[in-house]
Formats: sequence, structure tokens, C-alpha cells
Amino acid sequence: MTEVSPTQAPPASDATSGDGLRGQVYDFIVKYGMLVAIGILILFFSTQNDAFLTINNLFLIARAVSILCIVAIGVTISVSVDGFDVSVGAVTGLSVLLSTSLMVIWNVEWYLAILITLVAGLIVGLLNSFFIIKLRIPDLLATLGMLYLAQGAQLMLTQGESVFRGMFNPWNAERVQTTGDIAEAFKQIGQGFILESEGFRGIPIPIIIMLVIAISAHVFLQYTRWGRMFYAVGGNREAARLSGIPVDRIRLFAYLISAVLATIAGIVLASRIGSGAIRAGDPYLLDAVAATFFGFAVLGARRPNVFGTVIGALFVGIMLNGLTMMNVEWFFQDFIKGFVLIASLAMSFFLVKRNG
Amino acid sequence: MADGLQAVGLGKRFPGVVALEDVSLRLEPGRVMALVGANGAGKSTLIKILTGYYETYEGQVEIDGRVVHIHEPTDAARAGIQAVYQEVDTVLVPTLTVSENVLLNQLRSRRGTVLNWAALHKEAEAVLERVGLTLDVRRRVEDLVLHEKQMLVIARAVSQQVKYLIFDEPTTSLSLPEVEQLFTIIRTLKAQGVGILYISHRLMEVTALADDITVLRNGRKITQFPADEFDFGRVSEAMLGTAIQDIYPPKAANAPGDVVLEARDLTRRGKLDGVSLSARQGEILGVAGLVGAGKTELLRALFGADALDGGRVQIDGRQVALKTPQQAVNHGVYLVPEERRAQGVLVEEKVGQNISLPFLSQFSRALGLIDRLRERTHAAHTIERLGILPPNPEVEVKNLSGGNQQKVVIGKWLTGQPRVVMFDEATQGIDVKAKQDVYRIARDLTQSAAVIYASSDIDEVIGIADRLIVMHDGQVVAEFTTDAFDRNLILEYATGAREKETHDRG
Repeated sequence: MTEVSPTQAPPASDATSGDGLRGQVYDFIVKYGMLVAIGILILFFSTQNDAFLTINNLFLIARAVSILCIVAIGVTISVSVDGFDVSVGAVTGLSVLLSTSLMVIWNVEWYLAILITLVAGLIVGLLNSFFIIKLRIPDLLATLGMLYLAQGAQLMLTQGESVFRGMFNPWNAERVQTTGDIAEAFKQIGQGFILESEGFRGIPIPIIIMLVIAISAHVFLQYTRWGRMFYAVGGNREAARLSGIPVDRIRLFAYLISAVLATIAGIVLASRIGSGAIRAGDPYLLDAVAATFFGFAVLGARRPNVFGTVIGALFVGIMLNGLTMMNVEWFFQDFIKGFVLIASLAMSFFLVKRNG
Repeated sequence: MADGLQAVGLGKRFPGVVALEDVSLRLEPGRVMALVGANGAGKSTLIKILTGYYETYEGQVEIDGRVVHIHEPTDAARAGIQAVYQEVDTVLVPTLTVSENVLLNQLRSRRGTVLNWAALHKEAEAVLERVGLTLDVRRRVEDLVLHEKQMLVIARAVSQQVKYLIFDEPTTSLSLPEVEQLFTIIRTLKAQGVGILYISHRLMEVTALADDITVLRNGRKITQFPADEFDFGRVSEAMLGTAIQDIYPPKAANAPGDVVLEARDLTRRGKLDGVSLSARQGEILGVAGLVGAGKTELLRALFGADALDGGRVQIDGRQVALKTPQQAVNHGVYLVPEERRAQGVLVEEKVGQNISLPFLSQFSRALGLIDRLRERTHAAHTIERLGILPPNPEVEVKNLSGGNQQKVVIGKWLTGQPRVVMFDEATQGIDVKAKQDVYRIARDLTQSAAVIYASSDIDEVIGIADRLIVMHDGQVVAEFTTDAFDRNLILEYATGAREKETHDRG
């Protein structure tokens, strides 16, 4: 219709605030619902278990969450250009296997192993972009294909074996024992601490890495002109293109960032477990997607945003840690996650719809 | 009581806005009532009440003297009220066949679990015949063109024993022959005793169709009179509240300056056939032509939005490649695209962020950080210059009226250094006041740039342009200068009634 009726065009001042008390309650839930939920969660768990609200446990949660956070920030950036990268979990897994096998099987120096792994991540991102932008395969399908490719590459790399010190070389006809090892320096990435002092174990390095990535990504998306262009492409690709924005280049960057962050997450993960477990990255995909969409609900953003994603990842982490400490069986956890995800999505979409 | 649909004292309020107040009108079987009014006059609100879009409203609707309660779309359908909206895609299922779409509402209530396709197609054909439409019922709706879809929606309404049919701006995107076909159908329905409410911006159509005319303004009914008393001045005065003045700005006073843009033999298979043109600083070059004549394709090609199969473009005498909009923007070639919501603005973003979008680097500091203060100041300046309402850079664009959204699209380009600014159907669906503003801005832009103004409204092109070219079937078929604008001749060229003269290039 050509006419914009008042229903579609409320006066600006009414655009975000609802009507009366009801509207204010809606507004509050939409904006702060997620944060309040986390607060309640923390309070609840701390009454259940004294050990929950200790510095050490909180760091434990943060460390566990940091890898997820890194992956999820990548997904968030892919979603910000209205794309979707579902290859991230597999890429994380590939990164775990590649970095460790380079050191163990092929005796590559640890820093070179990291470098080669990062290059591999870049190649994955380039391939994703090629499939999506040049071949015009819908992003979900293209990255689904990449998910299998990365998973397959991961398995082929060691002929399906996990990587650990003293493993037999799968590529050697006599299957001799490998002589390489996962370097101590490499292990520090996932296991180390900084700012250690008497009575304080220090801050785990993965948390530092995650924070650096999260803060840079947040500043990038919210405060730079590139971030603005990312959101413009995500908001309306055609309008962005007709505003002279290099849409294809922006999408390329988004998929590159996403793949590289998944790769970094894989390196941190490999370092933390100190070996190359097959398919170690798989669970991160769904949790990262969940964290990204949890993030929609934080502060009523209704769009992918790094702050929301980090909160979303924390939420997932706190929930799982708390449930574990309460001795809730592991097989309940996915169900609870799904339930909470639906609740938070309802918060960001359903309530906002009714309000607007 | 008399026959017909009687709306009694209809009203609708939203927080802070009275969209419609105490409007009564009567639709009689076999008559066409035209409803005219500027944007925001309440036309859409009235239709929405009648079709059950709103749960609550003031007043009541009576049919044949009895009150009918319309609170949801099925209530309206049961009362025999249907509407044909301009955006037909929202009510059709693209992946289904014509037959299925025509009989969509009845598929649910059919007996048996297995569809009898032969019977279905036959029934659909019978329905199409009633409205004089020949269409392969086995085709998928996604393969139809707009006016075929529109006819399909009409046919579907007919299949549901429609008694009152509402048309909301049905001709906006139709070509002349298609409009004629639509009018024939409307007259057929009228003869069959359907009461018709016809909403349009175009007063010429209203005189061609209507028996009675109702004028709305600011949510109120201003006047109603029989169509044979139609008087252009009277109707536009009732619509606008003031006597209409010349809405077009004065033509260029001085001779045009240098040629800024020179295009030669632009060709795109099936769309553009060897188009050449030149645009000069200080003048508005009009591009007239019917919908589908290739105007949009021409502008998009010049803007680098679509790839060309051949042709050359010079800007300020230098050969340039315009392969992407980004390259065009870098050369100062800007486009105000045809569909502002889909192509022009980011509706979810704020006005200020839309305005700064094409030239973000002008608002950035080191590391690409955006200087929000400068961005805001600039937005406020643009808003003031263009008279955008509300004058607030922080409002999301979706909350603006069509005319103000269009000003945002134009405002985006004012940040740059324009050499060529192209307008494509820039006043479609915006009210007269906003149109006037768009014309004025276009005229102002000629001070520093060449302006190309394309529209399928021939009177508009005549009114705004200093020089105009006529397009038909992907070709430029004629060129006119101001003193020689001949409306009938232009129309003949545009409709293909007169062929391109072979010696007119020169």
C-alpha cells in the first residue's frame, strides 16, 4: 500500500515505549529480561551450592565459556550481514586436529603450527564466501556443505585417529611411533594464567583472549563505519548496494572473520585439552548459534550483537555449570537448554511484536 | 431500509492520533464509489475497518439495513466484502498454481482427501471467465506478471460471491492497456451488481469509472458528490484544503551548462536496445515512458546496478566504467531508486544513520571510528534542508511517512558531490506536498549537477523536465525540448502508436 497508516507509523515518541503500566512492564522485560534471568540463575545456584559463587568457580565458568564465546562471536558476525555460518563447529574441530597433528606427527614448531592452522581457517572462510557470493548457494546450505568438508578433512588428516603424544603415525607404512609433542608454550594458550599472585591463581589466558576478541568485535560492529556497513548489508542488502556499499566484500569479510574465529577457538581448545580429540569442536556449533540468538534478547537489541552474544554464552555456561554442580544428570541438559532458548527468543520476538 | 453497504460514523483512534473520525458512506450494488484523499487522509484506515483488519473501531457497518459485526477478515468475507490491494503478493501463494490460488479459500472446505485436479482447473477456468480473464490455470503464480496476479485476486473475490469489492490504488504499477483491461473488469462486475469502492490518487481514473466521489481529508469526510459534477479544482481543493497551485518549480532560466553525462549505445539483452543520451548541468532531463519501457533498466545501468552487454559512458568528458553502484557513487552518479522501502532506505535504522550511509568515511576518525556528533549534526542539517518530519535524526525510518522516507533517500546523496542525480518514479505513492518538495529538490540539484528524472506519469515528466526523451520497448524513440512538449505526441511515442523516426538522432 502506498499510504502509511498510523498503525504502521506511530509518532516517534511512542515508537519504543508502550502504553501505560502494561507497556512499561513489556518494555522492561524486553530490555532487561535476559539480564534479570541471569541474575536469578546466579542467585539460585549460589543458594544451592556454596562453591558456586567463588572466584575460582566463576573463572572456571568463564574459561569454559570463553571458547564458546569466540565461536559465537564469529556466528554473530556472519548473522550481522544476514548470513549464517553453520560450519563453525566443524572448523573448530578441524583446527584442533590440524594444529596438534602438525606438532605431533610432523614435528612442526608450535608457532608455525598455529600460523598454518590460521591460514587453513582463512582458506575455509574464502571457500565459504566463494560458494555463497560467487556460486550463489544459500548461506545455510553452503556452510552446511563446508561443515561436512571440514569434518571430513579433520578425519582424513589422521585417518580418523585422535592426536596425542606417542601415537602411531597413521601416514607411515610401518606405523612407527611419532616423536613430536605438543609444546608447553602451546599448552599455555589454553591452560595458562596471568597475574598470578599469592592466594590468587591468576586469570586464565583463554579469558583474556576471549575478552580481547569480544571487545574488538564489539567496537568494530558498534562504533566503526565497517560495522555500520555490516549491519546495513544485513538490514537490506539491495538498499546497501544501491548506497554504494561494497556488499560482496563486506560479506566476504564476515565469512572470513567467522572462520578465523572458529579456528582460533580450535587452537585454544586443542591447547586446553592438550591433545587432538576427534570431533571436539562439534558441540560448539549449536551452543554458538544459541548464544547468538540469546543475544537478540539482551537489552532489546533484536539484532545480532557481540555484547548480547557474550551474555548469551555466559548464560549457557552458567546454566550448565550450575546444573552440573546440582548433580542434574547430563542427559537433561540439552532439553533445558532448548527450553530456555525458546523462552528467551519469545522474549525478544513475541513481546516486541505485541508492543510495537 | 435501502439496499447496500452503509458505513455509519466510522472512526479509529491510535495513541495520539485520530486516524478516522465519524465517516459515513454508502456503497450501492452496481455503483462505483470513488474515494480520494491525500496521504494520511484515512483511506487505508477506512478500508482496514471494512475488511476486518481492526478488532475495534467506532461506529458500525450495516448491510441492507442490518448491522454486521466486522472484527476480523473472515467476518468481512462472510458479509461479501473483499479487497484488492496494490501489493497482491501478500495474498497469493507463489508456489501454487493459478487454480489453487483462485480457489484457495475453498480448498479447505472441499470434500474428500484427494484433489480432483481436472475438476479444480475447470472450476478455476469458469471463475476466470466470469471476469473475462484468459490465463493458463496450470501456471504457477510466481511466473505471472503483476497485473495478471491482480486479475487473479479479483477472480478469487468473485469466486467467493463478492458483493462489495474494494480497490486500493490498483493501477499504480500498471501499463495503459492493463489499466484498460482492469477498468473493463470493474465495469463487468458493476453490471453484475457488485458495489465497488475505488481508491486512487489519480483523479483522471476516478472520472473514468466512478458514479460518486467521496473526499477524505485528515480522517474526516469533507464532501461527496455525483461524478458528473466532477471538477478538478474542486476535488483537489477538497483533498488539500487549499486551492492547488502549480506544483512544479519554474523551469531552468538559463541555458544548460556543459554535458556531464554522455551515454552511447547502452545495451542489455531484452531490456535496453542501444540507448544513447546526454545530460547537462543546469537542466532536468525527463525520461518518459510506460511501465516496462526500460526507464528503470536505463537508470540502473547508468548506476552500475545491472550489468550491461554493451555501451559506453562518459562523465565530464572522460570514459568511465560504472560496473557497480560503488563505482558510480565514486564518480558522483547517484540514484533515487524506484522502490524506496526495498531499495532506498534501511527501514529498521534511524534517519541519521540512513543519511550518513553512502559517505561514512566523511564521518569517521582514525581506525574507522564513527564521529557520532558530526554524524548527528549533519543529519540534523539535512533534515532541516529537506523538511523531513519529524525533525529528529534518532527516529527509525519505518516510522516515517512515504514522502518523508523518500526525502531520506534523497538526503543520503546530498552529503556527496553529485555530478548526476537520477530519480526513478520518485513521487510514487507520496502526497502532493511531498511531491512538490521532491520537485524543488530536483531543481535545486541542477545548480551543481545534471538531473535525470524518470517517471511513467507523463504529466509529471512534462511538468518537471527541461528536455525529455521518450522510451518504448527498451529504446529511446523521441526527444523533445521544453518549448515543444506535446503531450499527445509524447503519449503516442510512449505507447508505441508512433514509431521512432530514423533521422531523429543527431
